[in-house]
Amino acid sequence: MLEITNLQVAYGPLLALHGVDLIIRPGEMVALVGPNGAGKSTLLKTISGLLAPRAGAIRWQDEKISAASPQRIVEHGIALVPEGRRLFAAMTVRENLELGAFTERAHREKHAQMERVFTLFPRLFERQRQRAGLLSGGEQQMLALGRALMGLPRLLLLDEPSLGLAPKIVESIFAILAQLHRDGMSLLIVEQNVHAVLALVQRAYILEGGRIVGEGDGKILLADDHIRAAYLGPLARGAV
Amino acid sequence: MKLRGAGLLLAAAFAALPLFTIRSDLLNLGVQIFLAVVLAQSWNLLGGYAGQINLGHAAFFGLGALVTRTLWVGGTPLIFAILPGALVAMLFGLTIGVPAFRLRGAYFAIGTLGLAEILRITIGNLLPQISTIPAAELTSYNILPRYYLTLTLAMVSVGVVAWLIPSRLGLGIRAVREDEAAAEATGVSALRHKLLALALSTAMAGLAGGAFAYYHVSYYPQHTFSPAWTFDAVLMSYIGGVGTVHGPVLGALFYVILKEILAVQWVEFHLIVFGVLFILVVLFFPGGLIEAWQRASRVFVRHRRM
Amino acid sequence: MILAQQLILGVLVGGLYGLAAAGLSLTFGVLRVLNVAHGELLMLGGYGTFWLFTLWQIDPFVSLLAVAPAMFVLGMVLYWALFQFVVKAHEETRIKNSLLIGFGLTLVLHALAIRLWTADERAVTTAYAGAVLRLGGLAIPWLRLSCLVFAFAILTALHLFLAKARWGRAIRATAEDWEAAALMGIPVGKTYLLAFALGTALAGIAGGLVSISYSISPSIGMEWTLKALIVIVLAGLGSLFGSFAGGIILGLAEAMSVVFLGGPYREVVGLILFLIVLVVRPQGLFGARA
Repeated sequence: MLEITNLQVAYGPLLALHGVDLIIRPGEMVALVGPNGAGKSTLLKTISGLLAPRAGAIRWQDEKISAASPQRIVEHGIALVPEGRRLFAAMTVRENLELGAFTERAHREKHAQMERVFTLFPRLFERQRQRAGLLSGGEQQMLALGRALMGLPRLLLLDEPSLGLAPKIVESIFAILAQLHRDGMSLLIVEQNVHAVLALVQRAYILEGGRIVGEGDGKILLADDHIRAAYLGPLARGAV
Repeated sequence: MKLRGAGLLLAAAFAALPLFTIRSDLLNLGVQIFLAVVLAQSWNLLGGYAGQINLGHAAFFGLGALVTRTLWVGGTPLIFAILPGALVAMLFGLTIGVPAFRLRGAYFAIGTLGLAEILRITIGNLLPQISTIPAAELTSYNILPRYYLTLTLAMVSVGVVAWLIPSRLGLGIRAVREDEAAAEATGVSALRHKLLALALSTAMAGLAGGAFAYYHVSYYPQHTFSPAWTFDAVLMSYIGGVGTVHGPVLGALFYVILKEILAVQWVEFHLIVFGVLFILVVLFFPGGLIEAWQRASRVFVRHRRM
Repeated sequence: MILAQQLILGVLVGGLYGLAAAGLSLTFGVLRVLNVAHGELLMLGGYGTFWLFTLWQIDPFVSLLAVAPAMFVLGMVLYWALFQFVVKAHEETRIKNSLLIGFGLTLVLHALAIRLWTADERAVTTAYAGAVLRLGGLAIPWLRLSCLVFAFAILTALHLFLAKARWGRAIRATAEDWEAAALMGIPVGKTYLLAFALGTALAGIAGGLVSISYSISPSIGMEWTLKALIVIVLAGLGSLFGSFAGGIILGLAEAMSVVFLGGPYREVVGLILFLIVLVVRPQGLFGARA
């Protein structure tokens, strides 16, 4: 469904991604883990069209989308929930959601989709007339997620969804992601919180220094000593 | 360096010109060119090298003219009239510099614009009458001292910039232009360097104004504070090549001469031409005429090698 | 009584200051582009109204129906020809380059106007121009009052557009965070185009109103750019009604200076206020962002 081959992305003279290969098949839930600065956000931004690759290709349903604008990417059915949410703080919850349905395709289904989002996130329905900037961290993440869903995506990209959230909230967010997955959504989740995400996903990639250095089943990777040493640290030594 | 050689040659040619002609229209054109060089170079120092767009440059030109004119027609010898003019301009610059530099980018530009307008209106109200050189001076008016004074000032202005830029101070100034935060992080005091550039820029503008006051027979004091002077400085700097030593010189030459030629057609036409040129330079050709020259000479050298 | 009369006149002109500022605030807020040729665009709108009236006796308020769309199109052309290149850079370079481009545009438009229409002052003098509303010893020119109401109506319409319409919201979203907006599928380039064209149309409408209630000449361009800048600094960005209020405050400040300092220093007070607010409170009296 999404096929990335030999992707190279640079910031000026600095190469951030050194030829990344990655595949997401329909209905899969895939994680992308790795240390800070590995290039995970860069990868997501490139897929969503905010950055243009220097070399390599991104294919979506066999169509080349490497150089497409962010607008076209959304029209294709790929939505990014950016790092830090990037909500329109001055606008209400409802307005944020409405903006998520800007494309023609999404605009037609706007009301129906908003119903679905409110069902998924009852808290958002309660707070729909509140300014987005006044929501709690967890509610903001829900709104960011809901907003992305308004675009009727088939593939959802998430950049650090657990960032700055309390463990309980993280749990509920991931539960919702699992729910979305069960309902047929494909997901690519970039996460620092390796523990939470690897237990959930079918497959995961490890990105280090702009290169894919590992791939495998989520639970197997979670048990892998190298991963545990690198990302889970001494805390995880005891727990299995 | 090719440009420096060409520049010195040009200066020598201008210096020698009065030996070959007494045509006052040519000599007057010369004075205007030299004044333009000083004006452009002074703006270029702050705008091109320090990266601070000063849209109130006319205020300093006007202050220099005001002080110089007042002292000189009052009987003070020229040298003691012009230097105070530059000094007053510089002091005013430093005074407003500290609060003004708290403003970033665009706000600094519009702030200085507003300031210059305040001065222009105030001077226009306080000194509405035309200022004319007294009759005694008028009868003995000679273009030559004006010619050589402005030529000297033009060479000095170019020399100051040429000396300053490769120096340690100049490096600091340019570092501030590139990235103020980074410069601060490496120990370069952004404010101090900006103020230095401002001081030199305004002093030079004041000198230009003083020279203007010595040269022009009669004018309205308000006129020397008109934003047109700022616009001229900006246009010349950019079209010639902003942020270079010789750009403003080339720009001044080009501007004054073309203005003379175009004035025959219709008076404001040169502004349309230069306005369009300016926009093209800013958008597509930031190096201006200097860059065009350098590219052309590189092509020429390549052809010669073949 | 003199004071009250001057204050009324100050409010009446202040509404137009606000309208002029709103257009500039829109383009600056959305594109982060400071088009200092805004006043020249206002001037063009004024001449449009003037010539439609002088040549074909079209009522000036009616002519705005033609002037506004024409200015909208002009805005599109200017964006396409010039400002689309400016928005590609980062914010600081963007603002600096837009300042320069706007400056060049100012020179060209000003010189063109002088060439085409001479430097003479022009005014639209309709049959109803002199009518005055008398209210307790005060004389309120009907025309200027209508212009004030009209300006307020335009701003209200624009406000509704930005608040409710799909593209209006897209503009607000883009103004707040263009990358996030792009991720929603909002075409940022088109949004910029729309915002710039709207800003230009607003300038044109303001210009039309100026030609109706006051007078126009090529030199009002720079004057009105400064007014708009002063109001933006006073009111801050982000609110159309804030701009309107800021305009009225400027009008009142000028009126008071006329009464206490005399006519010649009218502009100076506004400029001094401008400088003070700029240095002390750059986000403006009502603004939220710095």
